[in-house]
Amino acid sequence: MLQLVVGQLLNGVIVGTLYAIIALGVTLTFGITGIVNFALGAFMMLGAYITWSLTDAAGIAYPLAVPLAVLCVAALGLVVDQLLFRFTRNNLINGLIVSIGLISVIVAVVLMIWTTTPQNMHYVLPGIFRVGGVIVPKMKAVVFVVLLCVILFTYAALTRTWAGRAAYAYAQNPEAAALMGVHTRVLQAGVAAYSAGLAGLGGALYASLYSITPEIGSGYILKGVEGAILAGIGTVMGSFAGGIIIGVAEGIGSIFFPSAYNDAYGLVFLVLILLFKPAGLFAPQR
Amino acid sequence: MRSAVLSLNSIAISLGFAVLAGTASAQDVVKLGEIEAQTGSLNTYGWMSSQGMRMAVDEINKAGGFQVGGKTYKLQLVNPDTQGNPQQALIQLKKMLEEDKIKYVFGPFLTNIYKGIEGYGKQHNGEFLLMGGATQIHYELGKPGNDYLMRTWNWDAGDSGFGTLMVDYLKKKGAKKVAMLMQNDAFGHVAADIYREAFKKAGIDFQENWFEPNTKDYSAVLAKIAAEKPDYLFPGYTDAVLYDIVQQATQLGLTKFWLVRGSLGPALKNKDYIDDYVAYIPKYFEEAQNTEPKVKKFIDDYKAYYKTKDFPYDQAPLCSSSCYDHVYMLVEAMKRAGTVDDIAKVKKALQSFTYDGLWKIRFDATGEEVFNFDIVDVQKGGKITVTHEQPK
Amino acid sequence: MKAWLLWIPLLVVPAVVHNNVVLTILIFTFILGILAVSFNLIFGFTGQLSLFHAAAFGLSAYATYLSMAHWAISFWLGMLVGVAFVTLVSIVIGAICFRFKLRELYFAIVTLAFSELARLVILNWTTFTNGSLGVNFTLTPTLWIPGRGVVAVEGTTMWYYLSLAAIVLAVFAYSRIVHSWMGRCFASIRLNDELADTLGINVFRYKLTAFVAANAGAAVAGSLYAFYISYIDPHYFSIDQSLAIIAMALLGGRDYVAAPIVGALVLTALPHVIEVNAEARLLVYGLILILTILLMPHGIAGMVARGRRVS
Repeated sequence: MLQLVVGQLLNGVIVGTLYAIIALGVTLTFGITGIVNFALGAFMMLGAYITWSLTDAAGIAYPLAVPLAVLCVAALGLVVDQLLFRFTRNNLINGLIVSIGLISVIVAVVLMIWTTTPQNMHYVLPGIFRVGGVIVPKMKAVVFVVLLCVILFTYAALTRTWAGRAAYAYAQNPEAAALMGVHTRVLQAGVAAYSAGLAGLGGALYASLYSITPEIGSGYILKGVEGAILAGIGTVMGSFAGGIIIGVAEGIGSIFFPSAYNDAYGLVFLVLILLFKPAGLFAPQR
Repeated sequence: MRSAVLSLNSIAISLGFAVLAGTASAQDVVKLGEIEAQTGSLNTYGWMSSQGMRMAVDEINKAGGFQVGGKTYKLQLVNPDTQGNPQQALIQLKKMLEEDKIKYVFGPFLTNIYKGIEGYGKQHNGEFLLMGGATQIHYELGKPGNDYLMRTWNWDAGDSGFGTLMVDYLKKKGAKKVAMLMQNDAFGHVAADIYREAFKKAGIDFQENWFEPNTKDYSAVLAKIAAEKPDYLFPGYTDAVLYDIVQQATQLGLTKFWLVRGSLGPALKNKDYIDDYVAYIPKYFEEAQNTEPKVKKFIDDYKAYYKTKDFPYDQAPLCSSSCYDHVYMLVEAMKRAGTVDDIAKVKKALQSFTYDGLWKIRFDATGEEVFNFDIVDVQKGGKITVTHEQPK
Repeated sequence: MKAWLLWIPLLVVPAVVHNNVVLTILIFTFILGILAVSFNLIFGFTGQLSLFHAAAFGLSAYATYLSMAHWAISFWLGMLVGVAFVTLVSIVIGAICFRFKLRELYFAIVTLAFSELARLVILNWTTFTNGSLGVNFTLTPTLWIPGRGVVAVEGTTMWYYLSLAAIVLAVFAYSRIVHSWMGRCFASIRLNDELADTLGINVFRYKLTAFVAANAGAAVAGSLYAFYISYIDPHYFSIDQSLAIIAMALLGGRDYVAAPIVGALVLTALPHVIEVNAEARLLVYGLILILTILLMPHGIAGMVARGRRVS
């Protein structure tokens, strides 16, 4: 039993980092452009498909395919931002609906190109780590390390670099930031591209672990939003923690309760947190 | 003046169309309907059915049609895409029966579509034949007022049920404990009910575990299962989940699989990590193309008709339901009955003989299909053994 | 408003049009129209994006059927049970949301969470609801017609008039609400709820009222829809259904009570008018959402109204 719990704890943390990377994208987008971009789930799915076609169809090595896929998705995120989301800044409902429409468009295009048949990438790193009685697949460990590095990097960039602090300043007080010389439009476009890139990275790594279908994005964006809100929209390490909490809750919950209720744990957590700590668990004190 | 000319012109054109339409209906055509999900996430069976039926209809027409009662008939196929949406399917079926006056409808394979059209179908009992593979149809066959129903797929249970034969195969391997990991949906529960009984009869310990249909990470439930050390894992029924389940199961030490649906893809991808993978495949086309001339011809014709170099080996076994053979079988039945309109006679004829095409197909007394199938056994390294089963 | 004249031709449609397919599309349009019009109360008029509407739709469908099956009551009582149950649930959920002053995004997410929870419960309580298998049934609504006694509502023509009557009543009811002092409170909440609060409007009470009134309409639509297609399953609660409702309201127009019906018509009829494959349809659906919000924020009705004003 202990083995089972420890195993699910570890798995929950790893799966949670995938949620966390999406949560991070959600939180950055909300902080800087004022909307929740549900299409980040679709971007994640695109990242997965682009990675798969680069490795299995074009024969490019996985470590090279991932950054390429991330760049593609980030570029798409930028284009979409300039064409569509530029007109929905700070308009939550419009932004939400445009992003939902965008999901349908992206999913439709993916269906037309690759159909609904699940695709499986070749195994990049088969094999497992056995620690005590607990088994952790090697590739999952790699995914965890990569995502952790990216999240820490983002945190460092936001707090140590000029561009990052400009972003923070903007999130606190847009007018003051503009007066201080922050190029608002460039900042917003940059964040849009970066968030899309994060989602694309999540997808690229997802492809090495699971089969991919055009529907994988929807579950992740929901968990990503849950994670972001749980922690309090606006903090990087908060979204990391939020994603982990949801991942672990699901993993431990499914040991004791029927797995049919897996998705409910994140939801219940979310509702409880929002009711009793509406700004989120780790929200900065204003 | 101008408007008068316009009106005369439009009258003339309309008359012309009417005449053309009239002439078109003069040719003797038997219309076939097909009501399947050809696209969307549930399209596994519907897509192949559509592919096979279109080929069959085209072949029969190119050969000059078929003769019944001294008249020559051609076939016309009406096959809209339900996309897995019962509301859509209902509207499409209404169109088929009321506008196109179709009497022979193939499909649906999906139970949710069948439930959406069931009420309407029953209202029109006696006016058409619905020949579909949906699981739920099995329970409705033979009930009063359901003469319109026939089922175009094997039934798992019973002495000639393919499930029983597969459980026997597993028993011969000495399995004592089987853990099921099944989708928590309609078909999953039906499967559980059937196999719970079958394993009990065979004296094999059977444990049930469920997952939500869109699950990707099975580590929690697989870890629980592995702790009980079963001999075989009986996993979910679609390829979509099997790839992930098989990969993750082998990582956790579960290496033997027994199942009744899905292709060999997951086995072959994981061939170095599995020990044994027993699959139910209506026909193992990769082998059959070398041993059965009809299969080879079908594959060649398929490639020519659809102008492709790729034959869908993993989807082709699904053509055992409401597909290529069934069109030919229906035509044969009409010939034997001597009518294309008398549905009761045609149905009786369908139940009176065994059709020998890609499969040997017959319909039993309740109107359910019985056909031969293969048990394909993949071992570690990819070695494949095929056993051919012919239910009685 | 001369708009009510548009309803009159609809009365005679079955006499003129004998095409069952067209009538069926219209029936779905009317029933889904109730769903969209009621949604517009909380969304268009009160400015709150509720993602619980599909759940209200589904819960009433199940409640109506289950109460009829277990207590042997008539359809109309069953619908009452459905509406009552949904009202109760809405009061609880609405109270939770608005008491904790959930705004915009958080309100949307929490309503989505409750909707998903409802779906999971219905899906897994298989002994009571038959789970994902859903329930196929032969119970029908019955009407007392003078001269013929109690008659079952069956067949396209009867359903056409029943659903037409229902949508007319719904539009009338919501129209009365919107044009009353309650409606003005909703409007002020939509424009700026903090300001409304300072003006002395009990924001909590009016948001809750709008939420409950909207869900009640969804409940009526749910009962009718379920008994028209004689089938209920957990898909009533799906996110797709919620999104379809939003699309209908947006496409039809948020500014007029009856405008969402136009959206319902377009989305119901579209798959049958344009015979393209599923993927292309999904693409078109997404484009409609994007283009409507960016270019036609007031929907089709809004464009028509503007056109009339210009000329």
